Amino acid sequence: MQLPNKPALTSKIYDVDGFAAAQELYHSNGWTDGLPVVPPTEDAIEACLEWALMPPDQLIGIEPVREQPITAEKLAINAVMAGCLPMHFPVVATAWAAMMQEEFLLHGTTSSTGGCAVLVIINGPVRLEIGANGTFNALANSDRATAVIGRALRLSLINLMDVRPGGIDRTTLGHPGKFSYCIAEDEEDTTWQPLAQMRGIPEHTSAVTVMAAMAPRQIMNEWTTDPKEILETFAAEMRANQRHYSIYGGNYAIVIPKQLREHIQGAGWTKRDIAEFVYERARIRRAEWGDVGKGAVVRDRGDSVYTALDSPDHLLVVAAGGPAGGFGAVIPPWMGHKTKAVTAAIGACVDCEPPKG
Amino acid sequence: MIRVLDPTNEMKTAGAAAAPRPASLVGKTVGFISNGKEGTKGYFAHLDRLLREEFGVADVVWRTKSNFSAPADKHIVDEISRWHAVVTGVGD
Repeated sequence: MQLPNKPALTSKIYDVDGFAAAQELYHSNGWTDGLPVVPPTEDAIEACLEWALMPPDQLIGIEPVREQPITAEKLAINAVMAGCLPMHFPVVATAWAAMMQEEFLLHGTTSSTGGCAVLVIINGPVRLEIGANGTFNALANSDRATAVIGRALRLSLINLMDVRPGGIDRTTLGHPGKFSYCIAEDEEDTTWQPLAQMRGIPEHTSAVTVMAAMAPRQIMNEWTTDPKEILETFAAEMRANQRHYSIYGGNYAIVIPKQLREHIQGAGWTKRDIAEFVYERARIRRAEWGDVGKGAVVRDRGDSVYTALDSPDHLLVVAAGGPAGGFGAVIPPWMGHKTKAVTAAIGACVDCEPPKG
Repeated sequence: MIRVLDPTNEMKTAGAAAAPRPASLVGKTVGFISNGKEGTKGYFAHLDRLLREEFGVADVVWRTKSNFSAPADKHIVDEISRWHAVVTGVGD
């Protein structure tokens, strides 16, 4: 029973004959990602809002380019459709608040032909509360929580910002991360500082980092224990991305699973040491474009050196992945430093002032 | 029966109305706002010639955004009121 002082939901209501009819309603209106959705009922939406202590009309933020307001009610509807439970909703809401920071360039990153996805990296106690798994299959279908949180971002981009293929989304190819792209850092099995803390969030605080990210590029080097040799393989993959995709520096993420991590940790290397080494090694001369069929744009700047990272701070080092296998992943940025990764604490006000101008 | 909710953004922003269309371009000034990508150069060069030779446009002003994925810079937007028409679009 609705309490008298409970604020009412204001979204348009549809009465449908059952589960199958609900699917057809959402698919025929272009409100899905092509997969079935959980029917967003009033009870389910209210449960999300109650968990997050948000009234339906709470403004999560205003997208700065198209000036679309994003409210808690609308976000909760999309989260429920994606399969979120109420406990997942604060992570979704915080990720949205982070994406609406100007430096993330939400409109550019979601409309571009370049076709990136929003990578969400979860840190802090919330990972354990929601069962987010940073071990086996970390970058894929590792667990319920990361699957539905990542999907909630895509569905809400589709429905709240009209980011539909051929609509606002002008992507040429895209990648599977556009269905869901969310990982949790394996903080329990590393000596390294969590990513969120490296980026200024206090210890033991739950946080999300969002990054406009291309598909992961998997590397393998199980034939050394030397941190420099291991990280050289990561840097080489970043150089390859600079040659084949974009030469410009930006936020790269590298994901280091346990097997390689233990060699690097064991040698006493911190995340900062890793970032400084990779910053030095991941760089190419513009002339190298000539080796990969892009000679036409080398022009007279062949000797110019381009770093994959504008500074060591721009490398997001994440401890995650299954316990065995000498693998790792490099996740390149969408397009150099035109977008910046943003980290936000869950349950904190990211930007209480509306955007200027 | 299930009662479900609309997932789209039903709130509309105030937006802005389009300026009146000019009846003719003869003697007018037209601004180009390019996103700066390689493919725009040939496109806008051709359009510049077309507008001057076939539509009698007096002047074509070229401007390029500093970030091809972000809105036009403020100094470019501020100039628009001095033009009679503006052409902007995607070039890749």
